[in-house]
Amino acid sequence: MSDTATPARPTRTGLHRPDPTTIMVDGEPVTAHPGESLATALLAAGRRTTGETTSGAGKAPYCNMGVCFECVVTVDGQPFQRSCLIRVRPGLIVQTGPAR
Amino acid sequence: MAHYDTAVIGGGLLGCAIAWHLARAGTRVLIVEKDQVNRHASGQNAGSLHFQLEFRMVEHGDDAARLAARALPLHLDAQRTWAGLEAALGAPCGVALRGGLMLAETPAEVAALDRKAALEREYGLDVQVLGGPQLRELAPYLADTVRAAGHLPGEGKANPRLVTPAFAHAALRHGAELRTGHRVTALHRDGGRWRLSTGDGRSDTADTVVLAAGVWTAELAAMADVRLPVFPVGLTMSATARTAPLLPHLIQHVGRRLSMKQTAEGNVLLGGGWPAKLVTRHGRTDLDRNPELRYESLTGNADAARVVPAVMRLPIIRSWSGMTTLTPDQLPLLGPVPRRPGLHVATGGSAFTLGPTYARLLASTLLGDRPDLPLDDYSPARFGALNFV
Amino acid sequence: MSNPTDVVVVGAGPAGLAAAATLGRHGARVTVVDEQQRPGGQIYRQPPTGHTRTGRRTEAGRALLAEAAAAPHLDWLPDTVAWGVFGTRAGLDDYAGPAPAPGRLRLGVHTPDGGRTLEPAALVLTAGAYDLPVPFPGWTLPGVLTAGGVQTFLKAQGLLPGRRFVLAGGHPLLLVVAAQLVAAGAHVVEVAFSQHLRTLLPGPRDLAAAVGNAAKLAEGAAALRHLRRARVPVRFGTVIRAAHGDPELDGVVLSRVDAAGLPVPGTERTVACDVLALGYGFVPSTELARQAGCAVAWRPAEGGWIVDHDDWMRTSVPGISVAGELTGVAGAEQAEVEGRLAAYGTLQTLGLLDADRAAALARPVRRILARRRRFAAAVLSRFAPDPAALNALVTDDTVLCRCEEVTAGDIRRALCDHPHLGTANAVKLLTRAGMGLCQGRSCQPAVCRLIAEQTGRSPEQIGAFTAQPPVKPVPLASLAAAARQHDDQG
Ligand SMILES: Cc1cc2nc3c(=O)[nH]c(=O)nc-3n(C[C@H](O)[C@H](O)[C@H](O)COP(=O)(O)OP(=O)(O)OC[C@H]3O[C@@H](n4cnc5c(N)ncnc54)[C@H](O)[C@@H]3O)c2cc1C
Ligand SMILES: Cc1cc2nc3c(=O)[nH]c(=O)nc-3n(C[C@H](O)[C@H](O)[C@H](O)COP(=O)(O)OP(=O)(O)OC[C@H]3O[C@@H](n4cnc5c(N)ncnc54)[C@H](O)[C@@H]3O)c2cc1C
Ligand code: FES
Repeated sequence: MSDTATPARPTRTGLHRPDPTTIMVDGEPVTAHPGESLATALLAAGRRTTGETTSGAGKAPYCNMGVCFECVVTVDGQPFQRSCLIRVRPGLIVQTGPAR
Repeated sequence: MAHYDTAVIGGGLLGCAIAWHLARAGTRVLIVEKDQVNRHASGQNAGSLHFQLEFRMVEHGDDAARLAARALPLHLDAQRTWAGLEAALGAPCGVALRGGLMLAETPAEVAALDRKAALEREYGLDVQVLGGPQLRELAPYLADTVRAAGHLPGEGKANPRLVTPAFAHAALRHGAELRTGHRVTALHRDGGRWRLSTGDGRSDTADTVVLAAGVWTAELAAMADVRLPVFPVGLTMSATARTAPLLPHLIQHVGRRLSMKQTAEGNVLLGGGWPAKLVTRHGRTDLDRNPELRYESLTGNADAARVVPAVMRLPIIRSWSGMTTLTPDQLPLLGPVPRRPGLHVATGGSAFTLGPTYARLLASTLLGDRPDLPLDDYSPARFGALNFV
Repeated sequence: MSNPTDVVVVGAGPAGLAAAATLGRHGARVTVVDEQQRPGGQIYRQPPTGHTRTGRRTEAGRALLAEAAAAPHLDWLPDTVAWGVFGTRAGLDDYAGPAPAPGRLRLGVHTPDGGRTLEPAALVLTAGAYDLPVPFPGWTLPGVLTAGGVQTFLKAQGLLPGRRFVLAGGHPLLLVVAAQLVAAGAHVVEVAFSQHLRTLLPGPRDLAAAVGNAAKLAEGAAALRHLRRARVPVRFGTVIRAAHGDPELDGVVLSRVDAAGLPVPGTERTVACDVLALGYGFVPSTELARQAGCAVAWRPAEGGWIVDHDDWMRTSVPGISVAGELTGVAGAEQAEVEGRLAAYGTLQTLGLLDADRAAALARPVRRILARRRRFAAAVLSRFAPDPAALNALVTDDTVLCRCEEVTAGDIRRALCDHPHLGTANAVKLLTRAGMGLCQGRSCQPAVCRLIAEQTGRSPEQIGAFTAQPPVKPVPLASLAAAARQHDDQG
């Protein structure tokens, strides 16, 4: 595999957005735009993996429409929230990692 | 057409377990199942191994509880049987006996718990009523509203997904025959044997027949012109998403419908007798359709779970309904049917918890041995008045 | 609980919007429930509140969205999951009369404020469809997404979920998404289309039609032209064999297929990428309809199990109608037309429209529908994935059930050990495939295909996983709160 020069980091494009805010993800501040999906915010922050299966494999958004539950994270203490449906609000506290 | 020593009708836990005992003893056994093995109550139940009396047995007062307690000798036997079952079958069944707690939240419930425990101890069941720090230490996950709990160390759970297939597998290994997708539609005496016909025009004969047909038992008995008082009830179960271990015990409640346990995979299962509605068609109960889940049962069961606050944040990911059989006195219906030589029945009661025990006892009757527990209290003969021929 | 709603529409895509607007215009009080924040469904998905598109692109579906927004008597419940229909089968309770007029249905919903029930006289289910999941080694890696998912990131969230994209599958949506990615500045390394080009002829006109919108007839062809101009290789007769990377996707293996759609050994090549978008077509979201007891039929070319209906879109359950993708995947235009028809049928049931007037209103709609159906039928079969070709992508250690991590080998072994099992439900019970959070949506098609291959049974004999409430997970606390609400009132 030779042609891998471009970094994998996803990029925002195509929308005028509200001013960014900060959410906490696994204890670290992450900049995100209010109203965008949490999955968008996580990917844009370079977190391509948003969870873990029981056997420890990485999980990440797959369907991006609320069907597959691959993207679930814990939001403000509530587990199993689909990050593709949850919207960013200031101060959101998110935990990724094993779904439990 | 073939001839068997015994034909077992029903591929649930009871049918498969009875067939295993009989095949092991070297007899020729046929299991006939109209759907798939483990398709009905045996695969749908809560998997509770509860040896204390349940809420439904104590909710109608002390006399009813005393009557129901006549099954307690079976409970004691079942406790031992489950402990050795996986070894006996050589297959995992998800048996985990880490103790069970029967919760009480009000003073009246605590009093009921004390009376119940006294009754159970009369039968030799080692139930202790715990409260205060002792209870908190054992079960720190309980809500503050819980005042006391009846603790029985040998209670627990098994995995209904695995138990009946394991019995079926073991029976096949010992030479039993299994015919699935075949419904017995006629059952009658024919030259000193029983002849059973399946819808496809096939018929077989057997010296003895065991009705292990769950809620269809009355229907099958009627084919042999016998009335057996067994009634179908629809029940509800729900499961949460998998979560880290938080609940080692089997949880029940003395004052409301609740059973709760965590599976090996991490799902918390909720049940405890919440009704589902039997489906009627053309004015008759339609046993061939799964009962309809009721909104009140799903939400009520969820509400009952608040005795373990940590589960309340989990999502319910599926619910299901199933049917089980009740008898008028809540006791099992187990043994030979009077005036029908060679016809036996096994149903009623908590036949997951007690199923392996029923199966062993009925099999020894069939093999001509004397069962090591008296079965008179459970005999179909107690409903003899229903039958005139 | 009394509730002033006559009709609840579940799903605010083209079908649901058209149904709701039509119902409202004729005087029905309508509540529209959707678990998304904004109306539009999959195709007309709008950016989040407070976000606006750069550039002056005209929004697809603008007319329909505006019509629904202006319709009277409409109540919106966004961010709300419809999780169960009650009282349709047993017919014993006061809330479940045998016919819709005296009785009301009960719909359990989970809103951001908790659980409650809606009690409409009629339901219109327009829950749409989702991308057909297609397992192969590595499809669970972060970076592997559905084509619809990539498109939604791009169109509704303004996110390019990676830099180097490979698109693989067999549905024309792939071409559309690839062109959209290119337009947004992404590097599309390759589009691998499983069909051979000759099987797709007579032409790109049909490609666009299959995607679903006659207004976009040329879009597929245009997409193909754009891709050619951008020198994006679009290779037909090419399939995805594996995705690689640890811990995340960094490359895929593609190979040629023969005329039967089976991989040709020795033609494998590795392509580096950080996103793989999969587009094999769509599966109708029939769960709520099946849970309610609506009869279904097996129609492989239309996405699998679809909900049966009469020519007013009424299902086998009194009071429940369907429209859009759950009657068979056929695209947004047909969904919209069916939504209007379902509304006319429901308005008659409610006594808000007499039969003659309904027939007159429905006439032009039926003409469009007949045309659309002929067209869709001609095109659909050409894109319907072949079960043997899909099975050929699966190895023994390929995960089929992502939630419970059950592999194809686990299921094969279970079927060998228990040869008397042969239904989707029996295999689920034994293996746990389908028992996870997604409730089997991600694995059911592949599990059923595998059972069919192993046992020789038909899809009808194998059946589907039983749909039970809640058809999407609902927090225990929300259900418990609903119980309290009931107690307080009773
Ligand atoms: C939701 C639920 C929760 C429960 N929880 C518990 C619990 O926690 N603990 C406990 O002890 N018990 C529990 N029970 C009860 C327990 O599941 C049953 O008592 C037990 O499974 C009965 O086993 P069985 O073999 O008699 O019945 P089944 O498993 O119902 O098997 C009977 C079989 O007979 C077959 N059959 C019927 N008619 C014919 C025919 N004409 N021809 C061929 N085959 C036929 C049926 O298809 C069926 O497979 C629960 C039951 C339900 C429904
Ligand atoms: C991801 C994706 C991308 C697509 N991209 C294109 C494209 O680019 N071009 C094209 O022509 N066609 C595209 N299609 C096809 C097109 O979306 C459909 O033809 C059309 O949207 C069907 O309309 P509908 O009303 O039947 O369903 P949908 O538009 O799918 O709407 C269904 C709605 O119901 C909601 N819903 C479902 N279940 C529940 C529930 N239980 N509770 C609450 N809400 C619920 C969903 O959130 C959704 O908003 C795409 C489809 C998908 C799935
Ligand atoms: S990505 Fe599938 S549910 Fe969120």
